[in-house]
Amino acid sequence: MSGGRARSAVVVGAGPAGLTAAEGLAARGVGVTVLEARERVGGRTHGIEVAPGAWIDAGAAYLGARHTELLTLIKELGLHTSPTTMLGASRFALGGGEDSAHATRDGRFPPLNAVALGELFDHLADLTAVVRPEAPWLTPDAERLDTLTAAEWAGQYLTHPDARLFFPLFLGEMMAADPADVSVLHMAFYLRSGGGLRYLNAFEGGAQQDRVAGGAHLLCERLAARVDGRPHGAVRLGEAVRAVAQDADGVTVHTERGAAYRADVAVVALPPLLADTLDLGPEPPARRAGERTGRGCAVKVNLVYPSPLWREHGLSGWSVNAEGPLLSTVDDSPAGSEAGVLTGFVTGAEAHRYAALGPREQRAAAVAQAARLFPMLPEPVGFHVTDWVNEPYSKGCYAALFGPGDWLRLGPTLTAPHGRVHWAGTETSTEFFGLLEGAIRSGHRVVAEILDGGV
Amino acid sequence: MSSVDTTPADTEGVAAIFRRVLETDDVAADSDFFLLGGDSLIATRVLSAVARAYRVELSFEDFVLAPTPAGLAELIASAG
Repeated sequence: MSGGRARSAVVVGAGPAGLTAAEGLAARGVGVTVLEARERVGGRTHGIEVAPGAWIDAGAAYLGARHTELLTLIKELGLHTSPTTMLGASRFALGGGEDSAHATRDGRFPPLNAVALGELFDHLADLTAVVRPEAPWLTPDAERLDTLTAAEWAGQYLTHPDARLFFPLFLGEMMAADPADVSVLHMAFYLRSGGGLRYLNAFEGGAQQDRVAGGAHLLCERLAARVDGRPHGAVRLGEAVRAVAQDADGVTVHTERGAAYRADVAVVALPPLLADTLDLGPEPPARRAGERTGRGCAVKVNLVYPSPLWREHGLSGWSVNAEGPLLSTVDDSPAGSEAGVLTGFVTGAEAHRYAALGPREQRAAAVAQAARLFPMLPEPVGFHVTDWVNEPYSKGCYAALFGPGDWLRLGPTLTAPHGRVHWAGTETSTEFFGLLEGAIRSGHRVVAEILDGGV
Repeated sequence: MSSVDTTPADTEGVAAIFRRVLETDDVAADSDFFLLGGDSLIATRVLSAVARAYRVELSFEDFVLAPTPAGLAELIASAG
């Protein structure tokens, strides 16, 4: 393409990726209009105010020291991090009868056979080591690894019942996936991309070390305010995009409301399953999702109590449970507030089951389970369920799940622009795929593509 | 490296396992696994390697009580 540097851009999607791209372009003089379908910015970050001035993350939340672009952005935006609290003993409900099934252990190690879990992690470490993180589709033996689901792999390689029990819980926690939903190649890639098994799993010294003080949604709100505050910048809410047409001179972005926005280039910063719903004619681009691409299966449940009572009993709030709905819980109490917040993760196949329940049943099941795990807890004073699986403008969370065949088919064109249309989003970042850090890196990549590459 | 032999447990053999899973050379007989940056996830990989090398299955609690090459070698010797 010719015609020199882009002077205007339309960004589709006001999540962290789209807004990073928008602000990067706007800061370098490009006129930018961001179109967001929802009545809020943030995408898969979302804040809920649980007590006056106390916010929690209903979506993406955690970060660690290796998330360098995110940390830089936090600083630039005048925000801060707060450490994730993880002091005290854990609770486990990993099988057996009623109350005897609940065990309390120091630290985070589950009451399972350690040698069997070691073998599981040895296998996962071996897979993680062979994958080519910058181009997983070029991994040696990629074809075989991309054919097999993680469930089939587990059936072949995991012999001990404790390893078979723990593997789906681990995968649910790491990537909000049921083992049947992802290829072995995607699993290995995801673990490698996020910094390896140990980094991705760890709180202190790992990917869950800190949160954004006040909530990760603040990143998006502040970025949006910056873009909107520029003379040639605008963020428009409630503008669901229907089509992105392009011709020799530029792009025209059509919204459901019937508006049309003209610019030199477009940035589509949507999860792949959502991007594929756009009409991108006249020439059909390579698809963003494959036949087996699935929705990240996460429902986040936040139970709000007057205080984090579990701490007084020497418990961290961390639990791991074989039975749902809450497959794990973590202390998410906001810093500087008295409120105690226990966040439950409902992931994998359990997320679909739980999402199908009515609000009353959802509350009853979560509250009862929290009370079994932490008997000192009173009735919660607040209760929030965020169903990302059925969220129409996300179609899943943490990230799209690449199933068998997806990487080989989608990988080679993961970031390749479709003419004047550029792709952002955490699923286009081979570094820290699925995480906030990946989203931000994808936004930076798109800015460089557009400004350094010409149109 | 002694990942497959079944010779009696020796401190050096366990230290070699530490080095491999922690990806560091900085392991002495009395190095504490957790101070070297190890966590419970990586600890299980030490225990699976010990089980393969010495045919001794130690628990996570055993490991926490003796998280050094010398300490584990002693446990392995008394268990074997």
